[in-house]
Amino acid sequence: MSKIKALVVDDSKIMRSQVKRALDQLMIAEFEYEEAMDGEDALEKFNDDIDILFVDWNMPKMTGVEFSRAIRDKGYDKIPIIMVTAEKSMGKVDKALNEGGANEYITKPFTADKMSKAISRYFDDNGQIATGGEEEGDEKKSFFSSILKS
Amino acid sequence: MITEELKKADHIPAKVTEVVRESVINTFASICGEAPEFVDDPEVGSRPLNGIIGNIAVFNPELTFSLMMALPKDTALKISDAFLGMELPFDSDDMGDLIGEIANILAGEVAANIEKVGFRGQSSLPTATRGSDLTLFMPNKPPTEKMLFNSPCGQFMLNMAMSESK
Repeated sequence: MSKIKALVVDDSKIMRSQVKRALDQLMIAEFEYEEAMDGEDALEKFNDDIDILFVDWNMPKMTGVEFSRAIRDKGYDKIPIIMVTAEKSMGKVDKALNEGGANEYITKPFTADKMSKAISRYFDDNGQIATGGEEEGDEKKSFFSSILKS
Repeated sequence: MITEELKKADHIPAKVTEVVRESVINTFASICGEAPEFVDDPEVGSRPLNGIIGNIAVFNPELTFSLMMALPKDTALKISDAFLGMELPFDSDDMGDLIGEIANILAGEVAANIEKVGFRGQSSLPTATRGSDLTLFMPNKPPTEKMLFNSPCGQFMLNMAMSESK
């Protein structure tokens, strides 16, 4: 089973550690990590081997939404982008979804259980990224449901 | 428009104070496991702090709410244990990182809740200040509100100031 390469983007080292710790607790896949401390750093570290992105919003130099938009604009339509952020107003959620092209939105502080509910559907039974797109409506439904459960 | 109303105010309106108080309670309940209690103490803020302060602002082009979250050393240590499952050394860079992140979480909650009373703003990046005999004061005397809380992680204070954005 090949490892899932996750790029964790947050200006807080503590929060990057928290994301990694939560993912390691999930047992839905085996992860290896690349870390970046802001959107610019993440753009430099992003490559075709990255399978999934965990992105904070409020960072210096380039925000998480700007970084996510840049990834989508490069043509990476399928890679899951999970916003992990303290921003929680519905206007911000909408912006992350529509402007940033994020797939999911997890509010801080989070637990492994909250992380699991948000990202499990992106993995198959073999711990690999699930292939096959979902309808936009389903994505939005899941997106808002993870907010409401937070 | 509440922003116009706030710009003319010589004190922070009760509806804003209540929203911020509720946001503090929600934030620390999610970290410490139980909701903190607001303490009505007229002497709040008059005693020097030995601990750490997380600073952040919720702002729009017209108005800025500065939030200063003041945590005594023991409270900061307990919060690190509650948040991370281990106590961080008080003097470490990681402690500053953590308290900044908690200020960020609080500002996210404040920004979301304050929208309900008509103020739409965004969060700044957080900073943290550690020291002993720290005194919170406002040189230009903008409208301020000081709040004291007792939580399962210990006592802490929030100082909020309202000023025009520059």
